[in-house]
Amino acid sequence: MIKAKNLQKHVAMGEVQLEILRGIDLEIKAGESAAIVGASGSGKSTLLGLLAGLDAASAGDVWIDGQPLSSLDEEARARLRADKVGFVFQSFQLLPALNALENVMLPLELAGQASAREQAERYLSAVGLSHRLDHYPNTLSGGEQQRVAIARAFAPQPTLLFADEPTGNLDTQTGEHVIDLLFELNRAEGTTLVLVTHDNRLAKRCQRVYEMDSGCLSLVRQ
Amino acid sequence: MTTRATLSPLTLLLRDWRGGELSMLLAALTLAVAVVVAISAFVSSLQNTLAQESLRFLAADQVVSSRQPLQTTWRQKAHELGLSSANVTTFSSMAMTDDDRMHLVSVKAVDSAYPLRGQLGVSLEAFGAIDPELAGPSPGEVYLAPRLFSLLEVAIGDRIWVGDKDLRVAGAIRAEPDATSGMFGYGPRLMMSHDDLLATGVVQPGSRVAYRLLLGGDSASLTDFNEWLEPRLVQGQRILGREDAQGRVGSTLDRAQGFLLLAGSLAVMLSAAAIALAARRFSERHTQAVAVMKSLGAQARQVSRLYGGSLMLLGVAAVVLGGLLGAALQVLFIAQFADEFGLLPGPIGWRPFIIGGVTALVCLGFFAWPPLRRLAAVSPLRVLRREQGVDTGYRPHELALAGLAMVLLMLWYSGDIVTTGALVLGLVVTVLMGVIAARQLLRIAKTAGSRAGSVWRFSLAGLARRRNESSLQMVIFALAMMLAISLVIIRTSLLAQWQAQLPPDTPNHFLLNIEADKTDVLAEFLRDNHIVSEPVFPMSRGRVMAVNDIELTDSDDNRQAGRQREANFTHAATLPEANQVIAGSWWSPDTTESLVSLEREFAESVSAGVGDRLRLQIGSESFTATVASIREADWQSMKPNFFVIFPEAVLAPFPKTFMTSFLLAESQQGVLTALVRQFPTVSIVELDIVLTEIQSIIARVSVAIEGVLAVIVMAGLLVLVAGIQASVDARLHEGALLRALGAKQRLLLGALWVEFAVLGGLAALLALVGAEVAAWGLQTQALDLEYNPSLWLWLPSIALGAAFIGTVGVWSCRHTVSVPPLRVLREI
Repeated sequence: MIKAKNLQKHVAMGEVQLEILRGIDLEIKAGESAAIVGASGSGKSTLLGLLAGLDAASAGDVWIDGQPLSSLDEEARARLRADKVGFVFQSFQLLPALNALENVMLPLELAGQASAREQAERYLSAVGLSHRLDHYPNTLSGGEQQRVAIARAFAPQPTLLFADEPTGNLDTQTGEHVIDLLFELNRAEGTTLVLVTHDNRLAKRCQRVYEMDSGCLSLVRQ
Repeated sequence: MTTRATLSPLTLLLRDWRGGELSMLLAALTLAVAVVVAISAFVSSLQNTLAQESLRFLAADQVVSSRQPLQTTWRQKAHELGLSSANVTTFSSMAMTDDDRMHLVSVKAVDSAYPLRGQLGVSLEAFGAIDPELAGPSPGEVYLAPRLFSLLEVAIGDRIWVGDKDLRVAGAIRAEPDATSGMFGYGPRLMMSHDDLLATGVVQPGSRVAYRLLLGGDSASLTDFNEWLEPRLVQGQRILGREDAQGRVGSTLDRAQGFLLLAGSLAVMLSAAAIALAARRFSERHTQAVAVMKSLGAQARQVSRLYGGSLMLLGVAAVVLGGLLGAALQVLFIAQFADEFGLLPGPIGWRPFIIGGVTALVCLGFFAWPPLRRLAAVSPLRVLRREQGVDTGYRPHELALAGLAMVLLMLWYSGDIVTTGALVLGLVVTVLMGVIAARQLLRIAKTAGSRAGSVWRFSLAGLARRRNESSLQMVIFALAMMLAISLVIIRTSLLAQWQAQLPPDTPNHFLLNIEADKTDVLAEFLRDNHIVSEPVFPMSRGRVMAVNDIELTDSDDNRQAGRQREANFTHAATLPEANQVIAGSWWSPDTTESLVSLEREFAESVSAGVGDRLRLQIGSESFTATVASIREADWQSMKPNFFVIFPEAVLAPFPKTFMTSFLLAESQQGVLTALVRQFPTVSIVELDIVLTEIQSIIARVSVAIEGVLAVIVMAGLLVLVAGIQASVDARLHEGALLRALGAKQRLLLGALWVEFAVLGGLAALLALVGAEVAAWGLQTQALDLEYNPSLWLWLPSIALGAAFIGTVGVWSCRHTVSVPPLRVLREI
């Protein structure tokens, strides 16, 4: 489903080349769930950005469903994201001017789906927010916002879901609840899940756990 | 394959509306369109009025004057071409009453179509109010100049004789559109119907009679008529057009029009600045949303289409709203002038709306689009890394293009290169100074602040730390203030000049033909009646015959240079008021040399300059004089002005009469009747109605100007608010951090106030320098006004700038202290 080979990312800091990722190899099969753990600044988020096609690698390549990302320009990568990829972010990334329903409708509308509203409503009720459809993000609690974000991520029925510290901004109890929801939907939809986290409880629930350390990735549990 | 999004620009627009940034964009754009539409519509009405106003002095669109009777074929031809026409015949004759009182009168026989332009004002008593019901004299009736009522001792309804015809006195002439031509000649006016002319038997072959054919119609038909007529004209016949008529309020309205167009250009510039600021902020606030959309699969071209589309929709909304608002404003403007000029808020035409639409297009395309276009290039990676910079600025080539587009728009709009140039100069000075001085001023402020209390030290250090942003913000504030201040300066000197031109004590009556031995008695009469009169001027009717021994022709064509000219000569020891020597010099008061001073246009018409020797003639006496000076006279001042002035010694040997002028209050009108009885040979020229009319027009134009100024100040405030909002996010963020670290509310609010107030005060200082430069250019080059630095404006402007920016700044950032810091830190 998703594969990375010799993935590298360098950033120029003045005259110095900073190596953020030092040749990463990775393979996650369809329907699997994998967690990437590691200290702050170890390069987890950079890896996630490359795997999701949000950024271009300095060397190496990523394949999603057998398609090499290096052969795609930004427009083609955007189409690929629209078709196959969903996201859940630490800071939710809901658009403040849109209400809960509109936030979930957004990826469906961008993909040109005619039944965006019905589908968005279905997913919002799946995360238990059918009574909060027309609420704006600033009137929702952190947990509710993350549930809207999860509904938004699953609504276009992606085959691959990336989550960046999905519980990072939530208290323990709300975090638990959100994790349950995430895995529940993941199972029901048969989505491949790649998540970056500090949260051991979250990592434990994944089938594979990788650890990131100074730009190198190692498999710690299968 | 590209999928077609169901998310439309309209949906995006409606959803973004709730975000708030759009309202600023829409307000700025709507204001720009509204002001442009209103002002250009109003100016075109004003131009029409100006044309109408000048035609009033001909009482027609065009006049053919002749010493011989008019050919009947001329009127037939005019009729064929669809022109309206009227016959006017003037001559001097005696008017007589049944009990043998008689007086020399200037008879004007008019037919029923008279006047074709302007209006005849007739009252039912000698010096009474105009009765709008009364039209031209019917057959068998006459209207008389007010003083004829006492000279002939007649009243309305009495009968008088002109030649062999007896006529009924039906009214007093109070306003005559084409009266000016005969003001100094003949006797007082008697107006009768053209139908009675033959029956008087007065007009015989060889009589000294002036015939005028008044013509009205469109310019194409008039041109056709003139082409037909010109080969048929003989000596003593000529065509008088618009250029031969002079509007009484022409230059007032001209300047008002210049001011309005200038104000319109300013409104467009200010709105463009507000649009640019609002678009940048809109773009900054949408960067994250676009990154999210892109992470969700939106393509760059989809983003462009969405934001471009919603900008277009916004433009359409602004053009419709602004167009309606502009048309409404124009109706308000016109209502100010409607009864004075008979202007109707009828069809405005398409031009103002086209200008409004193009303005919106330029503002959107060159000012709003560049930052929005940048949104398509936002990296989706921002969803993971917010610290990535936001690029919503203008590239140098975009700035250059926007500047050029604005200059071209202003040029097209004002049609005046000097106005545009002066404004651009003022702007360049402000920006250059701003760029150089802003940092220095901030550094000085910081040094001064380091010795002050903690709030000052804290905030001034903050300003200096954000040197780049602060300088940019200061320049933007300064630009907005500079434009508004320039307009305040110009409006103030414009109004001051108008008021100085016609102060409330301006004389409204002139007395001519006062005999030398009557001047003292007359002065006593005026004193007894509590009338303060102006100085008495001697007057001799004379003619310039030759310049440097080259004889001038005695052609009748007034427009031909190098012809003899008749004028009223006077003598003066000192340069009269409202006159300015532009060449040569004024003589010493006791000179006995044979010198002469000429008015500029008069000098041009006889082709004479300083040092030239003139041969002049008064009566049958000839004498020579050397041109000592050329003067510019202010003809709008309503003071007696003379074309030709000599030292006293030169005119001493010649017979002369005297003239004076005075202000007569409405309640003193009875004095005129007594004056006419006691001094029957003195001619009275009544300008009270004309003067009231001019003063009322000036008052109305002033109101219009104040209204436009208010609109401009509003546009300026819009820019200031947009400019403040642009920096709110950064300050909120910093404030929230400081609060999280334990800073007190009072310190934060105080520091914010000081920061914004210092920015506002310094910006006002820069603005004042730029505004003085622009005002100098506009006043001396475009509006023909005198320039004086407006130092009185400096302190209040700086104080106001500091107070306004300080207050709005603190108000915009009030969330810093009212919202939990964590929420601020998360939201931004």
